[in-house]
Amino acid sequence: MIAVQARRSHRTELIAVLGLRFAAGFVILAMVAVLGYLAFEGTKTFYVDKFPLWTFLFSPDFAVDAGHPGAAVFIVGTLAVTLFAIVVGGPFGIAVGVFLAEIAPYRMTQLLKPAIEVMVGIPSVVYGWLGLTLLVPLIRTHTSSPSGFGLAAAGIVLAIMILPTVITLSEDAFRSLPGSLKEGSLALGATRWQTITRVLLPSAASGLAVALILGIARAVGETLAIQMVLGNATQFPQGLFAPTAALTTEIVTDMPGATEGSLLEHALFSMALLLLVIAMLLIVFVRVALRRRS
Amino acid sequence: MGNVVHPSARSVAATSSVRARKLADGVATVILWAMASSIIVMLAAFIVYMVYLGWSALTPSFIFGMPKQTTAGGGIGPEIYNSFYILMLTLIFTVPIAVAAGVYIQEYALPGMFRNVVQFSAESLATIPSVVMGLFGLLVFVYLFHWQFTALGGALTLTLLNLPALMRVTQEALASVPDTMREASMGLGGTKWQAITRVVLPSAIGRLTTGVVLIAGRIFGETAALIFTAGLSVPFNHPYDLNPFRPAETLAVHLWYTHSESIVPDVDQIGNGSALVLLIMVLVFNVAARVLGRRLTTHFTGRSS
Repeated sequence: MIAVQARRSHRTELIAVLGLRFAAGFVILAMVAVLGYLAFEGTKTFYVDKFPLWTFLFSPDFAVDAGHPGAAVFIVGTLAVTLFAIVVGGPFGIAVGVFLAEIAPYRMTQLLKPAIEVMVGIPSVVYGWLGLTLLVPLIRTHTSSPSGFGLAAAGIVLAIMILPTVITLSEDAFRSLPGSLKEGSLALGATRWQTITRVLLPSAASGLAVALILGIARAVGETLAIQMVLGNATQFPQGLFAPTAALTTEIVTDMPGATEGSLLEHALFSMALLLLVIAMLLIVFVRVALRRRS
Repeated sequence: MGNVVHPSARSVAATSSVRARKLADGVATVILWAMASSIIVMLAAFIVYMVYLGWSALTPSFIFGMPKQTTAGGGIGPEIYNSFYILMLTLIFTVPIAVAAGVYIQEYALPGMFRNVVQFSAESLATIPSVVMGLFGLLVFVYLFHWQFTALGGALTLTLLNLPALMRVTQEALASVPDTMREASMGLGGTKWQAITRVVLPSAIGRLTTGVVLIAGRIFGETAALIFTAGLSVPFNHPYDLNPFRPAETLAVHLWYTHSESIVPDVDQIGNGSALVLLIMVLVFNVAARVLGRRLTTHFTGRSS
């Protein structure tokens, strides 16, 4: 009786492990499928339409009808909004991360953490709508910009959107430091601020790098929030308050009108592949930063 | 011994530097407090502003009515339905796979090649921008399978997008269960699977539920991945359809589409109303995540977490 039961539970165990292993394998399969299929489709610009890769990357002339899909404008646009977002949102996020890890009393943490979670949950389009109804008119009335759309509006929206990522990860980075570091510094007579800037910040550097890199990853891939406020003009950024376009916004703007198999469609898939490559590179950077820590 | 400083001079220098350091510390503390508070103030201002803009739009005919193509007064009834419908479909696929994969990695997999590859795949999958995942969905479900724009295609795309996050939530929830509980269960003669299903998972269910509901909130508001997979329209003759093989524009997509493409005259009104409904749903999901998680933890473990 007992032997039968034991055998049965042993068999259940084997079946269960098989099922679990299959699910874990599915994650690998999904990744390979996404990567492989997009690599296949995203390189058609180069091997079906015979458009040179370097021209695609460095030519600002996005003239698809003339057979010349240069994507430099969108690449520069993506880099510009991302840079804006990380320069504004990065230090701010790290500062709040320090605050949460070192200064915030319990009640403040109980207030701030749910607020950050709500910020994560707010959909991209709602941020875009806020930017559209609040930020764009503000920029229009207070600068010489005729429309208000452009780099600044998109950059500010993005800076706010990456805050939760940067805050949470930098707080983790500070919390994972050994307590003896802080105690040693305070015992030597350093103030809290000196301890933060001279001991904790340098020690947490690799963790903070991860926070910033994942913030950048979020900013690079963000689409609709900035599509609604960037202006989507195919031109290099002519200053902070002039409209431009990014890789993601260009895909969303032109994909609905692109026919299957056309040069435009191929070019847009190439842009998607480029975004994928950037995301993968950032993940590799994260791995390197984490290995340094350990 | 030539450069001995007079004791009083040294103490004066030390006091002034101590004072400067204390001042710097105080100023820094105030600034950090201000920055952290500004986040709460900003969020509160957003919410108040959205309520102010959208409150008048929230009439029954808007929330439950049909959208209109060219005239004013369109509603968002089918869009709200589609958002929930796609959310349900997505969770049906995502939860079993992600939880199973999370259990395997956290409880069974030994450190080694397979585990590393799974972890790396999950991390990579997590950083793929949602618009790129949308294009993958377009390739597979619309071009390859010839489904056209469907609720199912949208849900499967969102499954890929949210799998890593939910897997991570599962791993963290399992990691929070102390090893002594596993040992106690297996020490009584149970198998590992019995320990996991009867002891570990019930203890982790509270945290797991909190994570699932928070991710559900994100799925509800997802947009970029759905534009090319679930489409930009609702079937007009039978909008509240359970058939997954039909176009299903969600509320978030509707907000974007109305603003950027549509020609109805009351774009602002629809946008304000839709944005407010989305915001309210985010808050509901957040509160539900906390309440459910706490209830389940108390129910299954007798502890209050």
